[in-house]
Amino acid sequence: MPNASDASRSTSVQYRLTEEQQLLRETLRELADERIAPRAAEIDRTGEFPEDIRQLLAQHDVLALPFPAEYGGIGADLLTQCIAIEEIARACVTSSLILSVQGLGSLALVLAGTDEQKQRLIPDLASGAKLIAFGLTEPEAGSDAGATRTRAVRDGDDYIIDGGKRFITNGSVADIVTVFAVTDPDARTSKRLSCFAVEVPTKGFSVVRLEHKLGIRGSPTAELSFERMRVPARNRIGDEGDGWKLAMDTFDRSRPGIAAQAVGIAQGALDASVAYARDRKQFGQRIGDFQMVQAMLADMAARTEAARQLTYKACAEIDAGTPDRARWASMAKLVAGDTAMAVTTDAVQVFGGYGYTDDFPVERMMRDAKITQLYEGTQQIQRLVIARSLLGRGG
Amino acid sequence: MAGFWVVAETNADGTLAKSSTELATLARALAEQAGGSIAVSGVVVAAKPDVAAAELATYVPSVVAVAEPLAAEHAWAQLAAERVAEVIDRDGPTLVLTGAGPDGRDVAGTLLALLDGAVLVNATSVTWQDGESVEMSVFGGKLITTSAFADGANLRIVTVRPNVTTAAPAASPGKVESRAAGATPTLPAVKIVDRVAASGAAVSIDDARVIVAGGRGVGSPEGFELVQQLADRLGGAVGATRAAVDAGWIPYAQQIGQTGKIVKPQLYLALGISGAIQHKVGMQTAGTIVAVNRDPDAPIAEFADMLVVGDLVEVGTALLEELGPKR
Amino acid sequence: MNIVVLTKPVPDPAAAAEKLGPDNRLDRAASPAVINGNDEYTLEAALQIADGHPGEVEITLLAMAPAGGAETLRKGLAMGATRGVLVTDPALAGSDAWSTAKVLAAALGTLEFDLVLAGFDSSDGVGGVVGAAVATLLKLPYLSSAAKVEPDLAGKTVRVQRISATGFDVLEAPMPALVVGTQLLGTPRYPSLKGIMGARSKEVAQRSLADLGLTTDGADAVGGGAARTTVTAKRTPPARGAARVVRGPAAEAAKELAAFLAERRLV
Repeated sequence: MPNASDASRSTSVQYRLTEEQQLLRETLRELADERIAPRAAEIDRTGEFPEDIRQLLAQHDVLALPFPAEYGGIGADLLTQCIAIEEIARACVTSSLILSVQGLGSLALVLAGTDEQKQRLIPDLASGAKLIAFGLTEPEAGSDAGATRTRAVRDGDDYIIDGGKRFITNGSVADIVTVFAVTDPDARTSKRLSCFAVEVPTKGFSVVRLEHKLGIRGSPTAELSFERMRVPARNRIGDEGDGWKLAMDTFDRSRPGIAAQAVGIAQGALDASVAYARDRKQFGQRIGDFQMVQAMLADMAARTEAARQLTYKACAEIDAGTPDRARWASMAKLVAGDTAMAVTTDAVQVFGGYGYTDDFPVERMMRDAKITQLYEGTQQIQRLVIARSLLGRGG
Repeated sequence: MAGFWVVAETNADGTLAKSSTELATLARALAEQAGGSIAVSGVVVAAKPDVAAAELATYVPSVVAVAEPLAAEHAWAQLAAERVAEVIDRDGPTLVLTGAGPDGRDVAGTLLALLDGAVLVNATSVTWQDGESVEMSVFGGKLITTSAFADGANLRIVTVRPNVTTAAPAASPGKVESRAAGATPTLPAVKIVDRVAASGAAVSIDDARVIVAGGRGVGSPEGFELVQQLADRLGGAVGATRAAVDAGWIPYAQQIGQTGKIVKPQLYLALGISGAIQHKVGMQTAGTIVAVNRDPDAPIAEFADMLVVGDLVEVGTALLEELGPKR
Repeated sequence: MNIVVLTKPVPDPAAAAEKLGPDNRLDRAASPAVINGNDEYTLEAALQIADGHPGEVEITLLAMAPAGGAETLRKGLAMGATRGVLVTDPALAGSDAWSTAKVLAAALGTLEFDLVLAGFDSSDGVGGVVGAAVATLLKLPYLSSAAKVEPDLAGKTVRVQRISATGFDVLEAPMPALVVGTQLLGTPRYPSLKGIMGARSKEVAQRSLADLGLTTDGADAVGGGAARTTVTAKRTPPARGAARVVRGPAAEAAKELAAFLAERRLV
């Protein structure tokens, strides 16, 4: 059981942005400002998956970031990936999901795939020719991932998978879906699941419907159905029973990405609000001269920076191999998600009535921010993870 | 001083470029300021220099016309610079004035190297204060610097912006001395293998008294028809921002700004132009700046004399009506 | 084929923080440095040539700059240049155009090249004379104001479309040659992320004045101490008055505007 004082001991892990990370940030910021931001409102309005942005990101090697260099990727560390997500999310959250889901969906493969699987599957993912999605959540298994029902039964060289998934981000545009299914119904939770790279389209796989959502409207959130879907055993990632661990290991590395996304959203909202406060005049002066507006902007700036620093530190810790990965990932996601929600809500407030209309981007940012408190583990789940890390698992 | 020299440029038809008449006038003015005993000369290098040389002689007392047959089918500037180098008298400090446009700079750079000289560029003012005193605008217009040549710099070159001086012929015409080009040039002559005419503006923006410019707000090539109509009515030329040129709505020859031309008209009417720094540096010294823009907070409001808040098509059309036909 | 792209770090125009120091020389510490905007177009032209001849083209960035100049070369390397050469020496601070040309020509003398590309001018000096001077010192064919550069690798010649008053002239010369470009060469690409991550492993060689056989005294002296021009004074231009803002329906606004123009005798 961890020592009670261990949890509060500050570690010596520091980060310092390298020249590459700075150049990457500048390049992506320019790219986002010039090519992505102008599309954001339209993507939200039409709800269409932005295939043009996907091409743009692929063309600029952005989708290569999460993958090892020997398979065509860049092998970027977590902090670098997060900076990329942050800069894109600042302009358009749907677009940032193209990158973050590519990482989320492929982590299991990168962490536990065989060399043969990696050779076979990663190059197209790194080039952006193919997209990958993460298929864990089910109608009855959201926060309670252990209640997964999708079943995979061995049949010769294949598995036959029956069941379905819900709320799968980019599930209808993915070429590979990383599906978690029960292979041993009698085992304890942490050993019941296995992980499969399902290449689609394939017989038995269908997209049942897409959700109509509050935000991230350009990202198709799919309900998937698997009916006697045959998946070759060579597409099983890891051994039978490794699924649960792979999912948790995935979250340790994907949650900082969501934190970065949330930081980006907050930053975008802050930047829009500061510009507005400088320009908008009421009562004969700019609204930025009023103390109540100043107080909001100040809090927004401080909170955003705090969330950013925690996120970067979490990345540094995880990249350094800390045993407290889960706690760092959850703390970052918890703080950043709540920050994004608070900052975007205040942003609408700064804009006043205009902020409520789609003439300005802040209402979209507020709607988009909410998801960061919900997916990849709700804020409540994050708190459980953090508390367990502090206290040790109870009985 | 051994003398002041003006390197003239010619138009495609062989006539003297307007910028050269300004340089010539400037050279005379400098000579007067310097005490009146300095020789002022012009040099014209061209396949057929006589027409331009004769006109230049109405501005300066002495002109050397160098007939350089290679100039007919070869890139001009380096050829010209070599011939200029042969002609100018080097018995003491010599000031050479060239234009600051592409050809003028090419000549200046070549002379700099050929004659081991010194150069001050993009002058917005040249006066004589016990030596050349050259002003230029730097840092996107934030600062004006005054520069001089160090003692011991014998071959002094200044490239001068257009519209810095108003051209004025001399009281009495000067003389033209014709020379044939000397030996084969030492610098490699670059062959012109083809000349392609592209549809350009009817009126060049370089010297225009009035410029009506369109930016991103104009929206389309058709939108520039209104800009052209206003330019015609006001007796001016059509200009554009880089955004409009990049969008393919108007040729690069009409681009004003950091990567285009720098202009100084008496009136600059900016339609649908936000006034970002890259454009601002191209037109901020215009006499009067009027902007029409839907955005009252566009940066151009900070340096325009008048901002009309409104739709440029509506305001532009109404302005045409208000002004009536050209008299 | 070897292409050398002349490049210059300049104060970032977007930062709008440029200033002269008390000695009236550019205060390089006052402002972040970026690669000169116009050099990005010529680099893009070089990269397009390389794209068109895969594996056959190497691009060297050559800059005369203070010691930190290697950083600004990083972006060019990330865009796809092969290597960088930085000529740096404290004595070069405050160099004039003549010195710059001499130094660059000397540096080019140590490199193999078929084509030298130079930007139209720099955003800090706005002179545009150094390219011609370098070509003259090296007796290279000089092709300027290029909207297009088309080298023929096999025939060792280069064709350039040069912007003219009436359209463009097509120039042709044998290589090696020096070409000065314009923005019409094409929109510079964003550095790819693979390029960014790989830039660190590309070589940036440094050369001092001594390496190039140049001196800071005597008739051929280069560097700030040998500058043949000086800035004697500086001032800020007079601010224009605030704009008169006209709102309201177009017809009335047009009346007010027309009256304003008439007042100033512009119509």
